[in-house]
Amino acid sequence: MSASIVVRDVVRHYRRPRTSLLRKSPPVEAVKGVSFEVGRGERFGIVGESGSGKSTLLRLIAALDRPTSGEILIEGMDVTGRRERDLRFVRSQLQVVFQDPMGSLDPRMRVRDIVAEPLVAQGDETGGDRDAREARVLELLQAVGLSGQAADRFPHQFSGGQRQRISIARALAPRPTILLADEPVSALDVSVRAQVLNLITELVDQLGLTLVLVSHDLSVVRHTCDRVAVMCAGEIVEIGRTEQVYAAPQHPYTTQLLRAAPSMRRALRGGGTAELVGGGS
Amino acid sequence: MSAGPVLDVRGLSVRIGRHGLLHDLTFSIRSGERVGLIGESGSGKSLTSLALLGLLPEGARVTGSVRLAGVAHDVVGAGERAMAKVRGNDVSMVFQEPMTALNPTMRVGAQVAETILIHGGRGRRPEAGRGAVRERVVTLLDQVGLPTPAELARAYPHQLSGGQRQRVVVAIALANDPELLVCDEPTTALDVTVQAKVLDLIVRGVEARRAALLLVTHDLPVVATACERVLVMYGGRIVEAGAVAEVFTRPRHRYTEGLLGASDLESAPRGKPLSTIPGSVPPAGAFPEGCVFRTRCAHATTECAVQPPWSSADPGHGHACVHPAGVAP
Repeated sequence: MSASIVVRDVVRHYRRPRTSLLRKSPPVEAVKGVSFEVGRGERFGIVGESGSGKSTLLRLIAALDRPTSGEILIEGMDVTGRRERDLRFVRSQLQVVFQDPMGSLDPRMRVRDIVAEPLVAQGDETGGDRDAREARVLELLQAVGLSGQAADRFPHQFSGGQRQRISIARALAPRPTILLADEPVSALDVSVRAQVLNLITELVDQLGLTLVLVSHDLSVVRHTCDRVAVMCAGEIVEIGRTEQVYAAPQHPYTTQLLRAAPSMRRALRGGGTAELVGGGS
Repeated sequence: MSAGPVLDVRGLSVRIGRHGLLHDLTFSIRSGERVGLIGESGSGKSLTSLALLGLLPEGARVTGSVRLAGVAHDVVGAGERAMAKVRGNDVSMVFQEPMTALNPTMRVGAQVAETILIHGGRGRRPEAGRGAVRERVVTLLDQVGLPTPAELARAYPHQLSGGQRQRVVVAIALANDPELLVCDEPTTALDVTVQAKVLDLIVRGVEARRAALLLVTHDLPVVATACERVLVMYGGRIVEAGAVAEVFTRPRHRYTEGLLGASDLESAPRGKPLSTIPGSVPPAGAFPEGCVFRTRCAHATTECAVQPPWSSADPGHGHACVHPAGVAP
């Protein structure tokens, strides 16, 4: 099996604005030498707390940012150090769904134009044919469980869950092979979260996509992904098959993270808040 | 200490403009009891917590009664001057966002001290001297697990991390040993490991004071971990109430059942679809007449068009559903 995504020794440093005239500010090491591969059709999860570098890593994979050093291959092609015009193949092969659908959907565009935008931008299979494009938009809206009438409306006329469906439809428009999702359900209500998670899993299955899902929520990754990487302070501290990592964590940070997440099962067995911080049995 | 409830809410309803937002809430919390109030966004759970402290926006029409132990008047209809004496003293509140709850221009120690000094006339503590207050501030900051509390008291909120800020907010809330602590999504903005510590801190804080806790959140596992009893809200109504162990294992109301199913990522097999509740929470004022959940409920019948009665005489235990789960049809 060839790898869909290869990440090799990737480092990303940022510089904060200087606070002193005399000294440069120290660099922030957001990602410190990370390596892993994601196989074709695999569902890969990245978990970590805020500041762990998980979103930076996702931006690097999406070629929305460049690593300080190291290389990233998408379907065998190196994306590091390329100019934007040389990244066309990434833009059509790889699509991203972001956390906040309100922030990632243009409020002044109708849903039809939002979903069609990647098609227009990339000169797709419809070759500029209006009817073919319209048909593709309706097909996409249907695939994410929205009616055709949704195409005429604006993002603000939808609920959070429906907006995330629109983001997913847009991401699928150029027929990508890789879908990146950055906290796709953290802004959603519990009852809607399940719907959107189901939709993502179903589409990834149906279309045979490679999925990289970034989340702070361990249970979301556990439910969705085959393999998981645990990030802490810019490094991957543990990586492995999901059930293995969750059942028998090897790194102390993973253990701490798993214990700290409130669980319905443990709570009903009598686990109180002391257990979360490691005070209980 | 009296045996009566610390908080007694009866028939609380709130209307803002044309919309009825809370409908006939009745519940009580005893001293030392930890109660969770769960619901999705738009269910009215935050509005309920604001109503308990008399913090509703101007123009809200409130009916019913909210009584607090040790407070001679009803919170409903009480003036700002009377409520200012109550807040931070008999009942205090921890909000979701610690940065907006703290004053950015004041050192955190001074903010804790302010709460103590404002309510200093209550006679519960004889200490009024500056030294005594400063000592008490350091003790409180130490109790909420802040390192080097004496130095940290001189820090400004922006110098602290999110978790540290929330600890300061908890210290302020517990400063006057309130009878009731209301926490509205206290850990939603925090990382998992920090959330664990802050939750533990809140639970230990109220336990040490024999205070009552109302924990408002959308997070079911958090309530299951921190609370003994739970109230489930939807559409501005309490649809189910009972012991955590019972409601979360044998839900009766169809909404509770759906919510538990949708949030249970632990037992659903990986990659298999989760059970869902169809549709989404309607906006305020757009909930149906009768049972508020009937437009999303698979079991709804014409009977549900009339508001279902509460299933028992005890408002703390029961449900409002015509077709409850867990009974043979």
